[in-house]
Amino acid sequence: MLEFKNLKLSFGNKKVLKGVDLNVNKGDVVTFIGPSGTGKTTILKCVNYLVEPNEGNMHLADMSVDFKKINKKDILSLRRKTAMVFQQFNLFKNKTVVENVMDAQIVVHNKSKSEAYEKSMELLDKVGMCDKENEYPSKLSGGQQQRVSIARALAVNPEIVLFDEPTSALDPELVNDVLSVIEKVAKTGVTILLVTHEMDFARKISNKVVFMENGYVVEEGSPEQIFENSQNERTKQFLSKFYLKEAVSAK
Amino acid sequence: MLNPTITEILLSLMQVSYITLIVLVVSAICGLILGTILTIIVVKKIPVLKQITVTFSSFTRSVPIIIQLFIVFYALPPVIESMGFSTTYITATVASIVALSLYHGGYLVEVFRAAYRALDKGQHEAADSMGYTPIQKFRRITLPQTIPVALPGWGNALIHLIHDTSLVFALGVVDIMGRGQLIAASSYGMNQVKIFLIIAAIYIVLTFLSDAIIRFFEKKNKKFKLDSGLNTKGA
Repeated sequence: MLEFKNLKLSFGNKKVLKGVDLNVNKGDVVTFIGPSGTGKTTILKCVNYLVEPNEGNMHLADMSVDFKKINKKDILSLRRKTAMVFQQFNLFKNKTVVENVMDAQIVVHNKSKSEAYEKSMELLDKVGMCDKENEYPSKLSGGQQQRVSIARALAVNPEIVLFDEPTSALDPELVNDVLSVIEKVAKTGVTILLVTHEMDFARKISNKVVFMENGYVVEEGSPEQIFENSQNERTKQFLSKFYLKEAVSAK
Repeated sequence: MLNPTITEILLSLMQVSYITLIVLVVSAICGLILGTILTIIVVKKIPVLKQITVTFSSFTRSVPIIIQLFIVFYALPPVIESMGFSTTYITATVASIVALSLYHGGYLVEVFRAAYRALDKGQHEAADSMGYTPIQKFRRITLPQTIPVALPGWGNALIHLIHDTSLVFALGVVDIMGRGQLIAASSYGMNQVKIFLIIAAIYIVLTFLSDAIIRFFEKKNKKFKLDSGLNTKGA
């Protein structure tokens, strides 16, 4: 479904990804964990080419690209197979809630207005934002905006949904609303890549956890393997800091 | 007209007001088009053209407009002639329009560039991530959010332009200012105060009109609130 081979990327002199290989199957929920600045978000942005990898190959659904030779047409079709949910929501501020969800369907996927509207309301209902369809994003709380942005991402029928720290910019009180929506999305069987610092959630939702540091994949495996039986010193050290429950029970 | 009445002065000025209006409207439109094109060059960072634009914009904003008028009217024709083209079409009015368009365009680059920057990177990423083409993104996301931010600055630029049209008489264009000078001269400078106050009133009306147009567009665009601290009020 999604495969990276020898993915390398640097911003100027700073090497961010130093050769990442990754394999994701259809319907997988893959969570990336690790310290800040290790390239977790960057990997997600490689999938839809929001950042420009220096080299490496990627397979996505029926496409394969060599990042050295990618052209504009490839970039557009990559982006039309994927959707992203951002840390800062990034809703279009000049459009209402329902217009945000409709817009890409109409512009990018040439759907009729009524068709797009129907689908949008259905999705807004799923994320519990139906009653706010005509509000502008500036009137919504962070949690509400993030739920709308999840609906917007699902509206384009993506092969893969990329969640980039979807709860990091939210009040603690609102985090659970958004997490439960993500959990619902995961249960629909869509492939998900998720970057998060919510360790409990990562453990609960994913069937594959990837621990990254310094631009490398240090360890990957099932949540049980990573959170309970990690053989890697560095993973254990990281989790003992971040995942306090484990640390306590280990003592 | 040794001792003209206010009505006579006003009528005489009105006869040439179309010159002022033509210079103003044509320069405003050409300046807007030029400013838009140059802004695209700057924000898209097109090599070479960008450096030229930045230099040009800084030139138009730092050199007094009267000197820019002189440059276009006196210095440009010989250059064009030396390249083998005729310059008979460069009348004082044409030179005024060219100079004011360049000036207005160079000024608007700064206004538009700042407005474009006010749109956060996140929304660009969101549109890109869903596969919008650059033109789709511009039409549906960028432009609608740039206009409300650019409007106040654009309104100010228009007012500057209106005021600066009063300088074109220095090239010999008989606009309302030029005609005013002539009326004053024909009565040995006796009616200067009266004449210039009337001209001031005409400019006040013009400025009010331009303000009203900008306000109208601001109202049309204030239905959504921008989160950048540049809130359009009332939302």
